[in-house]
This record gives sequence, C-alpha cells and structure tokens, in this order.
Amino acid sequence: MNTETETAVIYRQSPAKLHSFRNWVEPYLYLFPAVLFVGVFLLYPAVYTFYISFTKWDGLNPPQFIGLQNYFQIVKEPVFQTSLRNTLIWVVATLLFPVMLGLMLAVFVNRIPLQGFYKSVFYLPYAISATSGAVIWGFMLSPVGVVNAFLREVGLGGLARSWLIIPPWNTIVMLIAFTWQTTGTNMILFLVGLQSIPTDPIEAAKLDGANAFQIFRHITLPLLKPITTVVITLAVVNSFKVFDLIWVMTQGGPYRSSETLAVTMYRESFVQFRLGFGASIASLLSIIVILFSVVYLRSIFRQES
Amino acid sequence: MSRKHFSRGMLMLVMTFLVILWMTPLFITFMTALKTQKEAGATLPWQLPQGFALIDNLRWAWSAGKLGQSFVQSMLYAGVGAALAIVFASLAGFALVQLRPSRPFGWFLLIYAGTVFPFQMYLLPLFYLYQTTSLYDTRIGLLLFYTAIAIPFCLFVLRNHFTTISQEIIEAAKIDGLSNFGIYRRIYIPLSVAAISALFLFQFTWIWNDLLFGITLAKSADVRPIMAGLAGLQGIYSSQNTPGVLAGALLASVPTILIFILLGRYLLRGMTLATSGE
Repeated sequence: MNTETETAVIYRQSPAKLHSFRNWVEPYLYLFPAVLFVGVFLLYPAVYTFYISFTKWDGLNPPQFIGLQNYFQIVKEPVFQTSLRNTLIWVVATLLFPVMLGLMLAVFVNRIPLQGFYKSVFYLPYAISATSGAVIWGFMLSPVGVVNAFLREVGLGGLARSWLIIPPWNTIVMLIAFTWQTTGTNMILFLVGLQSIPTDPIEAAKLDGANAFQIFRHITLPLLKPITTVVITLAVVNSFKVFDLIWVMTQGGPYRSSETLAVTMYRESFVQFRLGFGASIASLLSIIVILFSVVYLRSIFRQES
Repeated sequence: MSRKHFSRGMLMLVMTFLVILWMTPLFITFMTALKTQKEAGATLPWQLPQGFALIDNLRWAWSAGKLGQSFVQSMLYAGVGAALAIVFASLAGFALVQLRPSRPFGWFLLIYAGTVFPFQMYLLPLFYLYQTTSLYDTRIGLLLFYTAIAIPFCLFVLRNHFTTISQEIIEAAKIDGLSNFGIYRRIYIPLSVAAISALFLFQFTWIWNDLLFGITLAKSADVRPIMAGLAGLQGIYSSQNTPGVLAGALLASVPTILIFILLGRYLLRGMTLATSGE
C-alpha cells in the first residue's frame, strides 16, 4: 500500500518519466514467470475442473451446462458409496495407526540412545517412493508371496489367502503397507515436538511422584498439542490424497472394491471417460481437503497480512 | 533405580522387534532381487541366495524392462524441473520481499494457491490442454508441468528465508550502485545457498517419486518418468519375473535413497519445512 503511494509521488515529481515507469513495472517482471507457470498449469486447470463438474462433457464437443446434476447422480452410484466409505476408513485408520504409532515411537525413541539410527530405520520406507513401496508389498502379499509362505511355514497355512483380491482384506493390507511407509515421518515430527517442550514441568512432576504414564497424559500431551494438530491435519489431508499405493497394488479393484475418492476420480475420468463425474469427484475432494487445510494454513499465516 | 533399568530394557526390546519388523520387507526384497528367476521360484523368500544375480536382474529391468529410458528422463525432469522452479520462485520471492509490488501478500497467496488443491483437481483440463497443444507425451510437456508444480512451495520457503536477510547489507549495496538484479544475484542468492540446496533435493525427490502426472500426461517408454515406468513394469511382469521387477523397484529408489543417506539431516529439515508449508 505504502509503496504504491510512494511510486505515485515519484512518478509525479520525477522529470524522467520513463525511469519511474521502469521502477513501477520491475517487480511484476520478476513475478511474471512464476505467475505464468502457476496460472497456466495449476490455477487454470483447478478452476476449469470446477466448471466441468457442472457440465456434461465428452472431451470432444463443447461442455454443456447442467447445474448440479453430476453431483446428484454420483451420490446415488454404488461405486461412489463404496469409494466414500473406503476413503473414510483410510482417514480413520491413518489416525489410528501411522499417527498413534508415530507418537508412541517418538516417545520411546526420545528416551533411549541411538536416535539417529531409529530415525533412519523408520524413515527409510518413506525415502523409497510410494510406487516402489507398493511394488514391494504387492510381492509380499501375492498368493505365492512372502506372507503366505511364512504362514504355511509356521503351520498357519489356513490363514493364507489372496490378500489383494478379497475385500475387505485388500483395503486392510494396503493400510498396513501405508502404515509401514508413513509412520516414520510422523515419528520424526513428534520427536521435533518432544524435544522442543520444556523439561521443568516434567522434572517437577517426577519429584511429586508421578509415574511415566501420568506425566505423558497430563504434561507431555498437552504441551505437544501444537505439533499434534499439525500432524493430525496433515495426516487427514494426505489420507484423502492417497493414490499411488492403491493404483499400483490393486488399481482400486477387484470390481472397484478398494477404490478411494482419489482413485475413483482417476478411473471415472481416464478409464470410463465420464468426465463430468470425474470433475465433480475432484471438486468434492478439493472442498474436503481445503476445509481441513484451513486449520493449519491459518496457524501458518497467523502472523501475516 | 533397577525398575528404571528394567523399563528401559523393555523399551529397547520393543524397539528392536519393531526395527526388525520394519526392515523385513526391504530385506526380503533385496534377497529376492539377488536371486535368479528359477531360484526365486524354488526357494523360500527368506532363504539366502546361492549365486549373485542382482546385476543381471538390474540389467534386465534397465533394458528389457525399459526402466533405463525412464530413469534418464526422470533425471532430467527432476533435476531441471527443480532448478527452474527455484529460479522462478526466487525471482518472485525477491520481488515480493525487496521490490514490493502493490499487494505483495495477495500475489503470494495467488501463487501459493497452487498447492492447496488435491492433484485430481488438475488432471482433466491438463490432459485436454496437452492433447490440443501437442504437449501430451512429450518431454517438454512433463518438464513444464513439474516446474510449475514445484514453484509454490519453493516460493513459500524462499520468501520466508529472504525476509531474514539484513537490510543493512542491501542499503550498503544500493549506495555502491548495485542494480536490483545485482542485489538479487550478488546478495540474495549467495546468502540463500543452504536453503536452496535443501529445497532442490526436496523438490527433486518429489518430482522423482511422482506417479499420477507421469501416467496421465505421458505413455511412451522414452517419455514417461521412472515411477510410471516401474508401475508399467510391475503390471506386465510381476508374476513372470519377480526378481527383475523387484530389482526395478530398488533401481527406481537409488537416487532418493542416496539423497537420504548423503543429506538425511537436510531432508528431515526439509520435511519440517514442508509441515509448515504444504
């Protein structure tokens, strides 16, 4: 604001009008490439997807505006209902396993030596990509894979099954693979949090004879609240976005039984070519994700604007 | 005192168990990638390999499995894409912090809005945009997109970093007659080398690991990025040549694991950055 009036003043007073015009335009020249790239490849597509969600479109002819029909139609489809249910299972399971386990590991690791070693071990599955992780777990869980071989070896052959083909096992085992890959990142974030909380209240409680669990429940956990909020929001947002793992392990199948909204969107758009449906699922997903993101975006930008 | 030792012993025991559990999938994958196809079929997964077929398996994944072409392409996408994104984001960040256009925070939010949507929100229009402009299934098409998607987060980090640069140095530089671009190139960039390196590795890893845009915007073996290639490989060969596919999965992870081993500390810091930004 301030700069605006300043430049205006310079503009009026300076004899060299050209020079002040240059001053005025220069910041926008520096901004231009970033704005151009983001505008063309990210913002325009996002806005256009939202528009398509209100149309009937085959990808060839111009889209026809049909209002909210796609949305009304899609919620009636069994495929969408399964997908929505699976998505909610993913969200809840993400909070139960990668987040809770991550917190537990962080508390443990914080109390024993060799922290660097544990960080590396639990982070390593995340350092290989989601796709590689999915290939590895696909191999572990195939009918002739490691898990079944192990079960037969220890005399539990009756439990062996085609893990990726039978619902609800396909979703359960993918959640295990996801837990394996993402717990480490949560653990590290919680560790950062644990190491930044003051030790005085904990020492005082110890002197008062509180046990480890009481200290955790009544002192550590409340002090950890800011980082817990971040980890939980991130985990929820990311669980809505999971795509690679499911696409490589089951492609959402068999018979679309293990799809989540992110996978359903892709399949409706690029396999079934029902573009309006695809766009409306993407828009629904965006609304959900943005609502959750607001929680922590607000905490990031609290100091600004 | 002994109770304390006891509980610490229990902790170590639990952690050892979890470490073994966590490493088992990687260990067995590695063991299987060491075996020949025949051996993998005839032995239990955790039995030690007789020979050493890893090189052959990697070679198979590289050439017959066509991962080699994707590997080279992804080096280009991730290396050049991350670098270009940093150049554009640093220019924009410099403008917002130093040159002060009107409503700098508004401009920032406009660019940052690019990270808010789930990726599914970009797919359909991008696909049709790429079809009509013949960018579909081209290297330049993927490179442009990867550059774009890395910009918002780079801007977020660099803008934060730039605000920590002391105004005194800049005033001195102005008196010495340095132009704005001179201030950007001689002061802002040299003072941000550490942040830029961490950011580069972080974005390199992200682009390298992308599957979704790789399968949406490309299809040819010599254009599609590494993860799209790996997913294709597993789709075709997972039951025919398990050791080869697993060698492929390891091959595809080599650059990101190297980045993690060499610069783990930076990467973990990058992740903390991401928490506050993505």
